Amino acid sequence: MPAIVAELRTELVELLPRLRRFARVLARDPHDADDLVQTAIERALAHAGQLRADAPLAAWMFGILRHAWIDEQRARGRRGRLFAPAESAEEVADAAQGAAVDAIAVQDAVARLPEEQRLAVALVLVEGLSYKEAAHIMEAPIGTLTSRLARAREALQAMLGERDGAGG
Amino acid sequence: MTFNEETLIAYADGELDAATRAALEAAAASDPQLAARIARHRALRARLEEAFAPVLGEPVPERLLASTRREAPLQGASNVVRLEPRARPRWSWPEWSAIAASLVLGALLGPLLPGPRPGNAPVDTRTGQMLASGVLARALSEQLASAQPPGAPVEIGVSFSDKDGGYCRTFVLRERQALAGLACREGSAWQVVTLVRSATAAASGYRQAASALPPAVAGTLDELIAGEPLDAAGEAAARARGWNRPAR
Repeated sequence: MPAIVAELRTELVELLPRLRRFARVLARDPHDADDLVQTAIERALAHAGQLRADAPLAAWMFGILRHAWIDEQRARGRRGRLFAPAESAEEVADAAQGAAVDAIAVQDAVARLPEEQRLAVALVLVEGLSYKEAAHIMEAPIGTLTSRLARAREALQAMLGERDGAGG
Repeated sequence: MTFNEETLIAYADGELDAATRAALEAAAASDPQLAARIARHRALRARLEEAFAPVLGEPVPERLLASTRREAPLQGASNVVRLEPRARPRWSWPEWSAIAASLVLGALLGPLLPGPRPGNAPVDTRTGQMLASGVLARALSEQLASAQPPGAPVEIGVSFSDKDGGYCRTFVLRERQALAGLACREGSAWQVVTLVRSATAAASGYRQAASALPPAVAGTLDELIAGEPLDAAGEAAARARGWNRPAR
């Protein structure tokens, strides 16, 4: 097993940037997102034996991170919902121009989506997974995934409108 | 041939089978409206990707690298998620001493006590309790978190019902060295339950970010709150009621 774990560690290091991005879509706050990654890494290392040799590591890790996130949402309860949106409003005012401002607007909009829709957005639109892969990670049928995606897209369009042509 | 929205979305996500894709592309070539709908879905996808792409270029925090690379000491059951220390004791003495080290209580309250112009101080201790007065009392009674006047001397944070059904609100006093606190309605007055100096509040426009809420205030809030905090409508309703607890 140690050899497997050592190999897993090496692959996980390479995967860290993507895991951080995925977590950032879910959690919005960078510190919270990195905490989620940390938890997922610890759990993955503790359960390295459960990783099937033929399974893509990224998908396995997204699944673990998703569970960590769900647990965290339950544990944190009202607090996250209570504080997250106001904080981001502040950042908008402080942020630089152009793309950075649009990125913050997009991140804010994503943060306002219901959790299941946000997860679908993270997996398909940001991480670029196929519907099949995403549905598997969400432990949901593909039809459920596609309807969440459709509702998420509709909500995001409503919140964001079209991008300013010049600012793009 | 008409295409529903889900089909257009599936196209933008690269999920259509070859035949449907070809049919859609052919239709879009002669239908600018259809082409525009497709473009909209693709643009949104690109926008999301761009918004989060910079995370990939960020340096990975050392603590993540460290725990991934080598045996980090796993603290206890690793399947218990703790994102932040939450259950901190409210006024444990070491913590209080740490606060007191930077501000003697007298120094904290000194500028707040009624001076040459009584009625202007935000806190009145003459009754032996810390009661809000002046701008603070007015803000607690009148100001809605959902509609803060720009540049107001007091910023209202969260309003909520405590376990006895009374109303409490968190606030930041901007002018007085940025003090943050929590006050609860007692009869016709606001009793200041917690008052701390908030470096965060001084440093930047203070918002009720979990990370910015001084721990002592956050701890008090956690301890007192019953259920969910008031939303904008609940806050307005409570104000309309004069912050008297609702009849049960």
